[in-house]
Amino acid sequence: MNLDQILDQRKIIVTCGTGGVGKTTVSAALALRSALRGYKTLVITIDPAKRLVTSLGLKELGDKPTDLTPLLANLKLSSGMKPGGSLHALMPDTRTTFENFVNNLSSDPTVAERVMRNPIYQIFAKEFSGTNEFMALERLWSLWNQGEYDRIILDTPPSRNTLTFLEAPKLLGRFFDENFIRWLVLPTNKLVSETMKRALSILEKLTGTGFMSSLFDFANALFEIRARFSANLKRIMELLGSENVGFLMITTPTPEAVPEVSLFIDNLKKNHFQFDGMTLNRTLSHLHADASGKSAPETDAIAVIRSLQNRETYVIERLKKEGIPICATLPELARDIHSLEDLAHVAMALVPDSPI
Amino acid sequence: MAEAPSTTETAPHFSLFREVRDRPLIFLSGKGGVGKTTVTQAMALAFANRGLRTLWIAFEDPLQPPGKLQRIANNLWHFNCEPAHAFEEYTSSRIGVPQLTRIFLRNKLVRYLSQASPGIRELMMIGKVWNDRAHYDRVVVDMPSTGYALAMFQSPKNFSRLFHSGPLHHDAVKMDETFGDPRETGHIILSLPEEMPLQESLDLEGHLHALYPNNPPAFMVNRMLPEDLTKPMTSITPSEWPTPYASSLEDFARKRQTLENYNLRLWRDQKLEFETLPHLEASRENSFFAIVGRLAETLQARLI
Repeated sequence: MNLDQILDQRKIIVTCGTGGVGKTTVSAALALRSALRGYKTLVITIDPAKRLVTSLGLKELGDKPTDLTPLLANLKLSSGMKPGGSLHALMPDTRTTFENFVNNLSSDPTVAERVMRNPIYQIFAKEFSGTNEFMALERLWSLWNQGEYDRIILDTPPSRNTLTFLEAPKLLGRFFDENFIRWLVLPTNKLVSETMKRALSILEKLTGTGFMSSLFDFANALFEIRARFSANLKRIMELLGSENVGFLMITTPTPEAVPEVSLFIDNLKKNHFQFDGMTLNRTLSHLHADASGKSAPETDAIAVIRSLQNRETYVIERLKKEGIPICATLPELARDIHSLEDLAHVAMALVPDSPI
Repeated sequence: MAEAPSTTETAPHFSLFREVRDRPLIFLSGKGGVGKTTVTQAMALAFANRGLRTLWIAFEDPLQPPGKLQRIANNLWHFNCEPAHAFEEYTSSRIGVPQLTRIFLRNKLVRYLSQASPGIRELMMIGKVWNDRAHYDRVVVDMPSTGYALAMFQSPKNFSRLFHSGPLHHDAVKMDETFGDPRETGHIILSLPEEMPLQESLDLEGHLHALYPNNPPAFMVNRMLPEDLTKPMTSITPSEWPTPYASSLEDFARKRQTLENYNLRLWRDQKLEFETLPHLEASRENSFFAIVGRLAETLQARLI
C-alpha cells in the first residue's frame, strides 16, 4: 500500500518512531495530503518544533483544533484541493496533563483535589510514566467519538524507543491495578498476612517516616478513579485494534532500523493492531552525481554522502528481504521547512508518482 | 532576513571537553537521533585503549539483553541498565539480611510499587550508575533523549524531598551531590548541526544549569560534513532557497555545508565553545563498529 491507499482505507493513522526521524514533519505533510485529497483532516501533534508552527502561519498551536484551511488557498498546486477537504491541527497541552487526567477521571472535584494536594503528586506531577501517551490517546478517542473529522493523524510523543508509545498505557494501567491498589487502601492493622506486614515495615525503614502515609493517602484517592480509568483504557485499546486505525513507523535508513521495525511489528501484532508500513525518511539514493566537487572539502562531503547512499541501498535490501512493507521513501531535505509551501513539497514527495 | 554573518569564525579547538574528559563519570545527553550511542561507545573505547578500566552504560536498550554486563573489548564493559534488575540489586544491598530481602522482593505489593510508582524506575537506573562508578576508572553513560534524561537527573532531587529520612533519602542526596560536583562528574551535550537539536541543546543546558549550577556541561556537534571553514559564508540564508530539496548530489553537499555553518550561529551567538566530530559512515552491516573505531581514534587524539 502507498500512503494514498492507506489514507483512503484508514480513518485514523498513528505515526510512531524514535526522536530525530522527522516524525512531526511527516505527520504534518500526511495531514496536508489528506486534506488536499478531500478529507476533513485533523493532525494531533505533540511538541512540534517552533519553526513548523510558525511555518503554518501560527503563533502557537492550542489545545483546541485550529482551522488551517484558509492558508491552503495560497498554495500553488498543479490541481486544487478536492471538495470537502480541510486541515485542522491541535497540540495537546502536556503541561497540565496529569491534572487534566485526574480531573477527567474524577466524578467529584474533591477527589481530584485530594490527589493534587498529595506530596507524591506534587513532586511527580510531570513525570508519571505514560501519562502523555495516555492523554494523547484519550484526546484521540474523544475527538473520534465526536465524529467531526474524516481523518485523524496522531503524531505520537517523542520516545526513547518505538515501543514506548505502545507500552505506556499499560504501564499507567499497572499503576491503577485494582488488586494492588486495594492493598494500599486497607488500614495496616487490617492486613491479615504476616509477610505483608513485614514487607511494609521494611519499606517504611527504607523510605523513612512520612512517606508511607502519603502513599496510602494517594492510593486512596486513586482508588476512587480506577474504575473509570480501566473503562477508558479498554475502549481506547478497542479503537486502536479496529480496522479504522493503521500504524505507520517512521525511520531513517540506518542499519538499526531493521531490527527496530521487526520488534515494532511483533509488538503491534501482540496488541492486535494493524501495521500499514514504514516510511523511510531522510533518504539520499535519489541524488545523482553530476560533478565531483570544486574544492577538497566539497569532494570530501560528496564522498561521505556517497557512502551514506551505499549504506541506504544495503538497508533497503535488508528490509525487503525481511518482507517489511515500505509505504513511502522521502528524500532528505537540504534545509528546514519554512512555510506551508515547503510542507506541500514534502506532501507531494509522500507519493511521488501521484501528484495531488 | 539579512542577518547572515559575513565571515565564518573558526570553530574553537579548546573547550570544556578537555576538563570534562578527565572526570570519572561522564554523562552524554542530547536529542534523540544525534548519535549518543555511537559517541559514548567511541569515548569508552578511547578510554579503554588508554588502559583505563571503563564501563559503558545504556538504559533499557530493547535490542540488548536487560540487566546484562558484557565485556566487549580489552578494559571495556557494556551494561544494559534496566529498572527491575537495578531495584533488586539496590534493595538487597540496603536491607542486608538475605531472608528479609527475599520477603521484601517477593511481596506482591512491593513488586507493584517498584514497577508502578512514578520516578522510581529513573531513580533505580541512575542509582545503579552512581553505585557502579566505584568499580571502574571511567564510566561513560549513554543517556536517553532529553525529556527522559532530565527525568532521570531530577529523580534523586525528587526522592530526597519525598523521603524525609532513611537510607533512600541519604543515597538520593549523595547522588545529587555527585552529579553536581565537577570533580566527580562531567556532563556533555551532544547535538547535530541541525536547527532543532542545536536549539534543544540550549534548552537542555538551561535545565542542567538549574539542576547542577556548579557543573557546566561541555558541548559537542556530531556528524559535521567536511567544511571549508576559511571560506566566507554566503550571504544567502537557506530560507531563501526556492525548494527544501536538492537537485543533485553536489547541490545537496554544498547546501548542507552552508546550512550546517548557518545553523551553528545558534551556538556561536551564545559564545559557546564546542567540539566537532566528523560525519563518519561506512556502507555495510559492520558500519557501526567501523564508525565507533574511527571516532574513537579521533577522540583519542583529543583525550591525551
